[in-house]
Amino acid sequence: MAASAQLPLAMVGPDEVARVTRIRGDADLRQHLAELGFVDGAEVKVISRAAGDVIVSVKGARLALNRSMASRISVSI
Amino acid sequence: MAETTIGLAGNPNCGKTTLFNELTGSNGYVGNWPGVTVEKKQATWRANRDVTFVDLPGIYSLSPYTPEEVVSRDYVVNDRPDAIINLVDVTNLERNLYLTTQLLEAGRPVVVGLNMCDLLNEKGDVIDASALSARLGVPVVEVSALRNTNLDVLVNKAVAAGKAGKVQPGAPCFSSEVEGALGEIAGIVSGSCDANLVRWYSIKVFERDAEAVRALHLSSAQLNQAEKIIKAVEKSRDDDAESIITSDRYDWIGEVMASCVKKAPKKLSMSEKIDRVVTSRVLGLPIFVVVMFVVYYISVSTVGTWGTDWANDGVFGDGWLWNPSDQAAYEVATEEFDANYYGDKIDGFLAAAEADGIATDEVGAAVETLAEDPEDADAQAVVTAFATEADAAGVVATDVPMHDGDGNFIDADDEVVTRIDAEGNPVLAEGQELAVIDTVSAADFEEAALAQGGAPALEDYGSFVPSVPSVIEGWLVAAGASDFVQALVLDGIVAGVGAVLGFIPQMLVLFVMLCFLEDCGYMSRVAFVMDRVFRRFGLSGKSFIPMLISSGCGVPGVMATKTIENEKDRRMTAMLTTMIPCGAKTPIIALVMGVLIGGSDAWWVAPMFYFLGLAAIIVSALMLKKTKMFAGEPAPFVMELPNYHFPTLKSWWLHVWERISAYLKKATTIIFAASVVVWFLLEFGFANWEGGNGAFGFMSLMEGAPEYYTDYSLLAIVGNAIAWIFAPLGADSWQAAAASINALIAKENLVSTFGVIYGIGDATENSVTMWSGFAGMFTDASGILHVGAMCAFVAFNMLDAPCFAAIGTIRRQMDSPKWFWFAIGYQCVFAWCVGLIINQLWELFVLGNFGLWTVVAFVLLAGMIFQIARPMPKTEQTDDKILAQLA
Repeated sequence: MAASAQLPLAMVGPDEVARVTRIRGDADLRQHLAELGFVDGAEVKVISRAAGDVIVSVKGARLALNRSMASRISVSI
Repeated sequence: MAETTIGLAGNPNCGKTTLFNELTGSNGYVGNWPGVTVEKKQATWRANRDVTFVDLPGIYSLSPYTPEEVVSRDYVVNDRPDAIINLVDVTNLERNLYLTTQLLEAGRPVVVGLNMCDLLNEKGDVIDASALSARLGVPVVEVSALRNTNLDVLVNKAVAAGKAGKVQPGAPCFSSEVEGALGEIAGIVSGSCDANLVRWYSIKVFERDAEAVRALHLSSAQLNQAEKIIKAVEKSRDDDAESIITSDRYDWIGEVMASCVKKAPKKLSMSEKIDRVVTSRVLGLPIFVVVMFVVYYISVSTVGTWGTDWANDGVFGDGWLWNPSDQAAYEVATEEFDANYYGDKIDGFLAAAEADGIATDEVGAAVETLAEDPEDADAQAVVTAFATEADAAGVVATDVPMHDGDGNFIDADDEVVTRIDAEGNPVLAEGQELAVIDTVSAADFEEAALAQGGAPALEDYGSFVPSVPSVIEGWLVAAGASDFVQALVLDGIVAGVGAVLGFIPQMLVLFVMLCFLEDCGYMSRVAFVMDRVFRRFGLSGKSFIPMLISSGCGVPGVMATKTIENEKDRRMTAMLTTMIPCGAKTPIIALVMGVLIGGSDAWWVAPMFYFLGLAAIIVSALMLKKTKMFAGEPAPFVMELPNYHFPTLKSWWLHVWERISAYLKKATTIIFAASVVVWFLLEFGFANWEGGNGAFGFMSLMEGAPEYYTDYSLLAIVGNAIAWIFAPLGADSWQAAAASINALIAKENLVSTFGVIYGIGDATENSVTMWSGFAGMFTDASGILHVGAMCAFVAFNMLDAPCFAAIGTIRRQMDSPKWFWFAIGYQCVFAWCVGLIINQLWELFVLGNFGLWTVVAFVLLAGMIFQIARPMPKTEQTDDKILAQLA
């Protein structure tokens, strides 16, 4: 796969599909996010986005994340 | 047949609690709020009492991020159920299987139930259950918990698996490299644990889960050996061990999904379309405001109020009529009767007669007798004789004022006169005219006196249902109970508990609607929308739901805080949420608004008080966030949004019932006890009145007790002892202190206590006499009403420690005496400071009074502003860790 731009999930627009590349945060938080489906390479679809707060679909479930949480998740489009 | 214990495990919202209720018939609560079951519930199978089910909290994994996960993990690994049923929401299969892979490793027989297949079919996806069963190595059964299909098959398979005791080795979900490492670690731990748990602990060692591994008591040599193996894998994968395990699991699940599920082409689901609108930046908040307005309009302004009136005036008042047509007839008859203004005619004529020098003592007593028994011949004779005498003397009463049902003066337009002076005379606005009866003759008086007892009585209608107090009184009289026992039971217990139960209809209406919003899935969107707003104040959006619930009742409100994962956020919300005015505080609001603007009907009154409560919470949150105890960002928000769905009536009702019954339980335990104690304090005292002998006893039965003996009660003594606390707030009477104590039973007792103390009897918050009595408490000798003091007193009672019921709930929720006392202490101190600032600033700027306390108020105000405005102090990460361990 060609190297593509990395950006925080908070910046991804509605209807765009991205892949998780990296998650920042302490071990507990990373683990929790991973268990919710945010693992490397996971496909994330943004359903709606308002000021960085996003609702996404990942691993078949719908999750709401606020801006600070969504900024910790780096994705590539 | 031996007993079998089966654990029910699954993700939040997978339908697990519905399954539990279907299987056991137990009234466990079913919700659509992730993580709602925190305690584990246990019950036996309806079909076979030898099978016991344990309902575990909904969890995403078995690693301990939340308390729910710890509970579930401890249960599965340590309590060793005979088998585990893993319920899986197939609309969300990928996520749900993550937990499944962990459960398979936990060393217990597992059976997987595929729930909500119908919803999946709607989407057009198809699951191959037998292929899935082959991949997982355990039985897989398609079920519907909601429609009770195939549940027996599922349980029987689980029982059989439990009997066989055959434990699967866990799904082969890791890459060969990791599997190799796990195999080596298994060699290290195999001697230290049960054979069935070797794989579980191998993975835990690999993940460096210190807490789980501690149970193995591995030597440091063994740990070092394991560490080398882990390091090698980490190096070759360039990732940390925990992430390796997690992503391997998801990779394997991805493979399983590909081979077992046929997905229909994706389209935007209905839920997703709705979410686009209700969570959008522009429309999210307005939609929420409209929804809430409708909820409160129905539950507070209309339906709920009818319910509360029925409960307070009917069930715990004078009884009620179950037939609406009887009720209507009664109301018409009462209106016709009231239009005669008999009471006003009698009072006016007697006053006129007295002014003309005719003695009225005897006839006054006769009139009272006739009010009870219109047929009393002696009294009738006295009245007739008096009327003849007065007629002969030419007594005529003129301009007799009329009163409405609450005893208020009315004006010519039939509106209540909202101001009276200290002597109880009406104070009219310009152009307002008092409604009067022009003349009352002796004949009018005689007619009134003889007819006054003939008011339409509820008992005369066929559909009459007697009130609870009157029924209990009947029993007590029949049982020959003493006056003391009757007073204790009726005035102490029934009145106290009844006042609290009277709020149930209103709460019921509010919770029916709030629970619908929760169960249909909207509330989790609200938490998300409100998170944007709340984050600025250091609170998470999840804190908002408890506050909404607290507007009905603080007890379920505090309980709702348990869904907040972050411990600091949870504690702070439990501490602050009761500052939102609950149903029981509305009479206090009505009282103070009556004094200030002559009524509380204006549409903005209730929203304003909710807003003030919210403001108090925000100010508190901003201040507390700067302290070491609560420092730190609120936990970043991540929350699953369940699909919208219409809740089944059963689960909806169970949810409402859970909320209401929490309140009921408190009312029948804590409030019951507290009512008795306060009644005792109010009714017992020392006979220190004029002519009293100073003896201690039950005052109303003591000889020579004045009508308003509460001045000599124990409550007055206690009130006097703590009145100094309220002096800086401008309310330095024992009555204010006593009312605040009494308000701890239930906040609306504040109003009724004033009724009792001021001898207005059962005057309500809508009575002008009550308003003027309340205002009189804050009026000084020169007749100036200290509005600041009054507002300070009300603010104190709105914000201080909530009622005993809510206090008890906070205690349980905090689960630590230290935190509990901190919460109660903070509430009281904060309320006192706010009251002080309101009072002193009013005194200074409106009345020009300055004193020591004014300085204190300014210092406190400056302190609050400083605490809010100062930058977040830098606390060391280590401090947080230490605190977390201490807590």
